[in-house]
Amino acid sequence: MTIIKVLYVDDEENNLSSFRANFRRLYEIYTANSGAEALDILSQTEVHIVISDQRMPNMTGVELFKKIKKLYPEPIRILLTGYTDIEALADAINTGDIYRYITKPWNEIELNNSIQNAYDVFRTRRELKEKLMELQKTNDELNRFIYSISHELRAPLASALGVLNLAKLDNVFTESEKGYEYWNLIEDCCARLDYNITSTLQYYKNSRYSTVKEEVNFAKLVDDLVTMHKLANNVDDKIRFEVNIDQPEKFVSDIFRIEVIIGNLISNAIKYQKPEEKDKLIKIEVKVNRLDAIITITDNGLGILNDHLNKIFNQFFRMHNQKGTGLGLFIVREALAKLDGKISVESVLNSGTRFTIRIPNNVPDI
Amino acid sequence: MPSNTHIPNSLIIVDDSSVDLKINSRIASLTKLFKQILCFNSAEAALDFLVENLNNPEVYPLFILLDIQMPEMDGFEFMKRYERFPRSFKEKTNVVMLSSTDDLGDRTRVESDKNVVRLLKKPLQIEELKELLTRIYK
Repeated sequence: MTIIKVLYVDDEENNLSSFRANFRRLYEIYTANSGAEALDILSQTEVHIVISDQRMPNMTGVELFKKIKKLYPEPIRILLTGYTDIEALADAINTGDIYRYITKPWNEIELNNSIQNAYDVFRTRRELKEKLMELQKTNDELNRFIYSISHELRAPLASALGVLNLAKLDNVFTESEKGYEYWNLIEDCCARLDYNITSTLQYYKNSRYSTVKEEVNFAKLVDDLVTMHKLANNVDDKIRFEVNIDQPEKFVSDIFRIEVIIGNLISNAIKYQKPEEKDKLIKIEVKVNRLDAIITITDNGLGILNDHLNKIFNQFFRMHNQKGTGLGLFIVREALAKLDGKISVESVLNSGTRFTIRIPNNVPDI
Repeated sequence: MPSNTHIPNSLIIVDDSSVDLKINSRIASLTKLFKQILCFNSAEAALDFLVENLNNPEVYPLFILLDIQMPEMDGFEFMKRYERFPRSFKEKTNVVMLSSTDDLGDRTRVESDKNVVRLLKKPLQIEELKELLTRIYK
C-alpha cells in the first residue's frame, strides 16, 4: 500500500512538532513554517495532502492554496482556521481552493478522518485521470489500427481489381469461353470483397467518429457519388441516372455520413436492377430548405416484398440471396441515427423502390 | 511556348507496389497520351530523379501519379519536399495522388494542398485518367 504523504504548514513551530508527533507513524510527513517554504517542498516532492494554517505572516493559508492550486492541482488541500476567519474561508470554499476546513485547535481523530477522506478523493481523481488517459491511448491506437488495416486489406485488392481492368482492356476476358466465365467469376468475388471491406469500415467509422458540421454542396456530392458508382460497377452505359438537385439554401451537416447514406442507396439501386429491363433508371432528387434536406432515390428495379420491408434495415438481412453482406441498409440506418435523420421506403415488387430520407439542416438561425 | 506542351511529355509513377506500377504504367500507355513513362518504387528515388532533371527540357510538361501509403517516405512527405521546388518547375508539373483507401483525413489533406490536382482511388480507371488529362491539358 502506498504511504500517504502529508505536508503541514504552520508558522508556529510547536504546532508542527505536535502534528509530527501525532501522525508520524501513520503518514510520511513534511513540514514547512511558511508558504514560501511549502512551495519549495512541493516543487521537489509529490505530496497527496496539504494542510495549512490560515494565519501566517507574509502569505495566508488561502493565498498559499490559490498558488498551489495553479501550480500543483493534484494534492487535496485542508485549511486550519479559527472562527474569526469566516469571510476568507467562504471565498476559498466557493472558488474550490480548499477541500475541507478544520477549526483550531484540531483534535487528532477529526484531523485523521479528514486526511483519510482527502486521500480517498485524491486516489479516486488520480484513478479517473489514469483511466481517461488509458482510454485516450486505446482510442488513438484503434484509430491508427483502422487506418492501417483498411489499407492493408484494400491495397492488394485494389491491385487485383487493377489487373482485372487491364485484362479487360487487353481483351483477355474474351479470348475463350471458359476464360470469360472464370474471369467474370473472379471479378464478382473481388467486387464482393471490396464491398464488404468498404461497408465494414463505413460501419466502424460511423460508430466511432463524432459528427461534424460542415457545408454540404449536394450537386457536387451526388455527382461525385454517381460517377464513382458508375465506374466501380461498370454500368456507365447500362443504367440511366436522373439527378435533380434543388438547393437554394445553405445546408450544414456531416458530409462523411451523408455520403455513406446516399452511396449505399445508389449501390443498392444498381445492385437490385431487373436484368431484363431495357431502360434501367435511377432517379436521385434532393430538395433543401432551412429545416431539412429531403432526398429521394427511386429505381425501377426488382422491388421488395411487402413482408420484407420492415426487415431490410436489420443487420445481415439479405434479399434474393443476392451478393452483399446485408450491411448496406443497416449502415444507412445507423448513419442516419447519428444525424437525427429519418428514412422511409415504398416498394412494389417487380416495378421498383423509392427511399425517402430526411436529414435536418444544422445551419445556424439568423 | 511550343504547341506540343498541350499534352504532357512525361509521366512519373511513384508507388512501392511493383504490381501497381505495372498496372498503372500499362493503363497510362493505353491512353497514348504520354511520350515517356517512368516508374519509381520509392518517393526518394523519384525526388532524386526530379532534382537531377530540373533543367532537362525533355521531361516537361510532367504529370506525376503519386501513391499515398508508402514505407519510409509517404506521398504527403513527398509533397512537402515538392513544395520547395522552384516555381518554374511546379508550373510545368501536375500531381495526382492515388490511394487504395477512401480515408476522409487523406482527402482533406489532399484538398488543402494547392500542388495536388486530385486524389484518385485505386484501381486507377482508364476513363477517369483520360478525362482528367483532357481537363488539365486542353
